[in-house]
Amino acid sequence: MNAQPDLSRRAFFTALPAVTAGLAIPAHAEDTATPHWSMLIDTRRCIACQACTMACSIENVSPEGQFRTLVATYAVTDQDGTTGMAVLPRLCNHCEEPPCIPVCPVGATFKREDGIVLVDGDRCVGCAYCVQACPYDARFVNHHTGKADKCTFCSHRLEAGLLPACVETCVGGARIFGDINNPQSEISRRLAAADGKTSVLKPEAGTHPRVFYIGLEKQLDGRVDGSSTADMMWRPGTQGA
Amino acid sequence: MNTTVEVLGFARDASWLPWAVQYFFLIGISVAAFFLSLPGFVWRRSKWLGISRRALLAALVCGLTAPVALLADLHQPGRFLNFYLHPNLGSWMAWGSFFIPLYLLGLIGYAWLCLRPLLAEMGQRPGSLAGLYRKLAYGGHDNLSAIKAAALAATLGGLLVLLYTGMEVMIVQARSLWNTPLLPLIFGITAMTGGIGMTALFEALTGNRQSAPLLNQWLARGIWVTLVLLLAWLILGLSGTSTAAADALAAMAGSFGWLVTGGWLFGSTLLTLWLARNHSNSLLMPALLALHGAWLIRWVVFIGGQSLPKMGSASHPYYLTLTPDSLLGIVGMAGLCLTLYIILTSLIPWDDQANA
Repeated sequence: MNAQPDLSRRAFFTALPAVTAGLAIPAHAEDTATPHWSMLIDTRRCIACQACTMACSIENVSPEGQFRTLVATYAVTDQDGTTGMAVLPRLCNHCEEPPCIPVCPVGATFKREDGIVLVDGDRCVGCAYCVQACPYDARFVNHHTGKADKCTFCSHRLEAGLLPACVETCVGGARIFGDINNPQSEISRRLAAADGKTSVLKPEAGTHPRVFYIGLEKQLDGRVDGSSTADMMWRPGTQGA
Repeated sequence: MNTTVEVLGFARDASWLPWAVQYFFLIGISVAAFFLSLPGFVWRRSKWLGISRRALLAALVCGLTAPVALLADLHQPGRFLNFYLHPNLGSWMAWGSFFIPLYLLGLIGYAWLCLRPLLAEMGQRPGSLAGLYRKLAYGGHDNLSAIKAAALAATLGGLLVLLYTGMEVMIVQARSLWNTPLLPLIFGITAMTGGIGMTALFEALTGNRQSAPLLNQWLARGIWVTLVLLLAWLILGLSGTSTAAADALAAMAGSFGWLVTGGWLFGSTLLTLWLARNHSNSLLMPALLALHGAWLIRWVVFIGGQSLPKMGSASHPYYLTLTPDSLLGIVGMAGLCLTLYIILTSLIPWDDQANA
């Protein structure tokens, strides 16, 4: 009778705890590295097709006329009289210092460890104080629920391992989403490649947004001195048919 | 310099609706009217006794109506419970949910203590409600110490209400029209002129004109302070000293609507001042104009302030509609005030003659 198999079996069982521990330790370490979700928007790749607007509205069942994201579009005429199109995809900036959180009287708005700013719908009273405090007009009171609503970076999709709907649908690949804590993530590599040439909306507000832009026109990063077609339009819903 | 036309952008509705205007208007008036009741009821100044009685009526009518507007603005009134179940004490609004009951309970207690002798007297008169009056009078003692204690609680609550209503709006950096340290002062002083206006209106309704010069004297002082504060804001904005005020003025630039609004605001304020100074015996017109001014300031701040764009170029105009959260809400609040006025004046005489 050959003892070798027995020895091998014994060696296997002896080594098993070490193997399982070895497998478990790296997996555990990966779990504790909390991601910090952010978005990078390369406006040079955006064609203002509003596919992101539609995908978000469908994914999140936004009420008619209310949007969590949208591509603001501008006609900019330079000193030579040449007119071109400028775009500004807008959404909640998931700020590091979100002004919407301290004002909430019931603590319904909060920032998760992974950087996502969310609203607890059960607690929200619909007072709209956060809507007022947001410098980016990213929040609104949902007409259906009567509660504060905003972009969640599609947190429900993230939990299922999917990208936010607007990122998934963007035809030009203008929206890059990922974990900025992970230096190997695409967003981290793209931010590094941009070498400080990224910008955020209203940097003077001190909110430290986690939505970054490449190619953002400085004059569009806040209130824009200019006219709006919305102000020129006749609105049958409010001004009478 | 590039010129820009926004072809497509967000069009956010105003999220603080006329309910907010009504609440800030009514609670401010109530606190101011309560202060006007102090000289007569607490310090027993004979010259103020009649005014203080009508001022107390105004404080009750407006104070009991105001929270209804606030609850209506929550879309579902039961949500107010969350203010007490999950208060975030870093928020001025959360503190407001504690200041309002402090003020109102103080006011109701103070009013009851002030009215006890009158209720006892009415309990002695023949009538089907005599028993109720006697119970409400609870002995009918004119207890000045208790009145002073209740007045102190209501004064504390009232001052805190004025503080939080101003601070709550002032700290919103995202709204350039709101983000000025002058705002709590403007709200406070226009609450005073509005409180004088409501008291003068009740004086006019009771046919008592003797107090007109005194009320108009204080109204004129309040209007002067209002004008100084409005001009200070304008100078801070035009000079660029205040970034927020300058940004608000830049956002208004070129708008005919804002030009008319500004002209109306300054014009009506000057007219109120002129009437209060030159027609000091008249009550009704200065009273109505004072109320108009206090309401207009809040309308301009809230509804106008929300119309200015935070991002992009599109203004967000608000249109009054025949819906509960718009014109019907405003009319409803006025109706509730009228109902409370009718109930209170039916149960208790507030004029000097009936009390004599």
